[in-house]
Amino acid sequence: MKKTFSLLLAMTVAVFSGCKQSAETPSGGNNTPAPAAKQLTIGFLPKSKGNAYFVSCAKGAQRAADELGDKLIVDGPTDPDPARQNEIVENWITLGVDVIAASCENKEGISTALRKAQAKGIKVVTYDADALPDARSFFVNQATSQGIGYALMDEAARLCDTNGEFAVITGSLTAGNQVAWRKYVEERRAAAYSNMKCDAVEACDDLKDKAQSETTALLSTYPNLKLILSTTSLGVPGAAEAIKQAGKTGVVKNIGLGLPNENKRYVHDGVTQGVILWKTEDLGYLTVYAADAVAKGALKSGDKMFKAGSLGEFEIQGDNIMLGKPFTFNKDNIDQFDF
Amino acid sequence: MNTDKHGLKKNLLRHETILFVVLVAEWLFFDVIGHNFGTYDNTCDILRHYCEIGLLALAMTPIILTGGIDLSVASLLGLCAILFGKFWRDAGMPIPLAAACTIGVGALAGGLNATLISWLRLPPLIVTLGTYSLFRGLAEAITHGVDTFTDFPNSFLFLGQERWLGIPAQAFVFIIATIFFWLLVHRTTFGRSFRAIGFSPEGAHYAGIPLGRRVAMVYVLAGVVSAIAAIIYTARLGQAKADAGTGYELFAITAVVLGGTSIFGGVGSIHGTLLGVAAIAVLHSGIAHAVLPGEMAGMLTGLLLILALAGSILPKMISGLRARKSAPRLAKQIP
Repeated sequence: MKKTFSLLLAMTVAVFSGCKQSAETPSGGNNTPAPAAKQLTIGFLPKSKGNAYFVSCAKGAQRAADELGDKLIVDGPTDPDPARQNEIVENWITLGVDVIAASCENKEGISTALRKAQAKGIKVVTYDADALPDARSFFVNQATSQGIGYALMDEAARLCDTNGEFAVITGSLTAGNQVAWRKYVEERRAAAYSNMKCDAVEACDDLKDKAQSETTALLSTYPNLKLILSTTSLGVPGAAEAIKQAGKTGVVKNIGLGLPNENKRYVHDGVTQGVILWKTEDLGYLTVYAADAVAKGALKSGDKMFKAGSLGEFEIQGDNIMLGKPFTFNKDNIDQFDF
Repeated sequence: MNTDKHGLKKNLLRHETILFVVLVAEWLFFDVIGHNFGTYDNTCDILRHYCEIGLLALAMTPIILTGGIDLSVASLLGLCAILFGKFWRDAGMPIPLAAACTIGVGALAGGLNATLISWLRLPPLIVTLGTYSLFRGLAEAITHGVDTFTDFPNSFLFLGQERWLGIPAQAFVFIIATIFFWLLVHRTTFGRSFRAIGFSPEGAHYAGIPLGRRVAMVYVLAGVVSAIAAIIYTARLGQAKADAGTGYELFAITAVVLGGTSIFGGVGSIHGTLLGVAAIAVLHSGIAHAVLPGEMAGMLTGLLLILALAGSILPKMISGLRARKSAPRLAKQIP
């Protein structure tokens, strides 16, 4: 703490002695003859600071910043005030960061501040949750609906040896993302796994209790079920509890979208075979690499591929940098993740 | 930044002077350790970010002077922001009319608090704790928690985001509100009656002060100011959502208390409140510009509050001790 403090002090003194007057135009202003690669300051904004999901993102972001030799500032709201993200961005503008990477809680609200940053020459990328397209250069897209739907169906088929009956637990029958994910699950099944049959789709209203009771009903209605697939994170632990109580652990497999922490216990008990999401650390890592490249002009609109350090190449679709296929957390790897 | 305080009694100045020194020290400290903190741009940003909290704190001051409290101001801000959006987008009103209607709603909502407190004689803490949930709940019910109002015209967003004559547009509203409340509290009989009520409601009653009307007045004013703050907030963010201004009531109360207004009523000043708001705003902005973790802001606000209160009480305690020392024999003779 003391060290960082004195470092900061030294840094600010240096800044003050030199360029107090020019301080009003922060920007990426590399008018000064850069001797070697310029050290960039990157503002990394999560939706909320304490959330384990974002803590994990920030960890990956820090690793990338260390590799690139950039300075990373991670700050996010700790209180529920929706104006806080704007305030943080506006503070970063006067602070004079070079590039901002934001996960946006309020799309329209924060876009105001991000546009202002762009007007001052600060580059903006978004990750996890996008802003309005004109308020950023790139969005690091962690998963497409197609990617999620296909990954779920592929994993289900793998566990069932590509044949047998399964049932789907969905969050709600009408919510847009749920509809899209189910559509791609079915599309994948029809195209690649015609020996598999979907017996039923039940809605759990995003309640764990309801997922449990629906699963219990499914297990008695369809005795040949080999697998339950949940398209909502609350469905997985609910279905797991039902399978466990019915004494069908391992007989009826259980997978779905979910966070590692709330499923660890069931995964180790062998009730749940895996949960699917993306590697949050990789999301943070890729975001910082993209932010750095945008600020240095190495990544421009129209590019088709982007190389991010040790993670290799990523595809770019339009202005979305794709993190790629979702990741399956299972017995072998789930303990390495904490979110 | 703050107006000169001529013609004020010395004893009134005491706490405010200490706070002013703290504020200057804060400013200099962050100017040294922070990056681009002391710039004109950042000063404008601080004004913009804390304008709404400042307005709420101004309206809170006379309330606390009467010995009351209003926990519902920020919830009302949320409700008014939503209704402003509704009036404009769904009812198709032009912005000025929508703003006028919103202020009307603010006055009505303040009137509800006022009625319950001054005519039904319910404790302000309980009443406004109720309306705190009620107003926020209404805002959430109207929008189902998801509806967001955006795409306001640029001429309206100007109020929250641009500068006029070199200073943020909403600062003009804040300055007018400050002058209004300063005159009300310090230069009218109303202000004197607020203090009298805060010191002793019974005494004020027997002195012929219309208790009910005076108390009602401060809560209605708070409603109106909350509505104005809601409009400025919407212009600043470019969006109105049911969670607008969550937690601002505590900021406002902290600023008022930090500014030297007694939470028991009777004592306090508008310029103290201004200094309180400034001290909190500078602290938050300074921490961000020194790239220190944002959580420190909450911690340091607490520390500041305790230090400032202790700082203004210590001299009294010391003089009290001296007085005791100088007259020990007298004290012994009494029993």
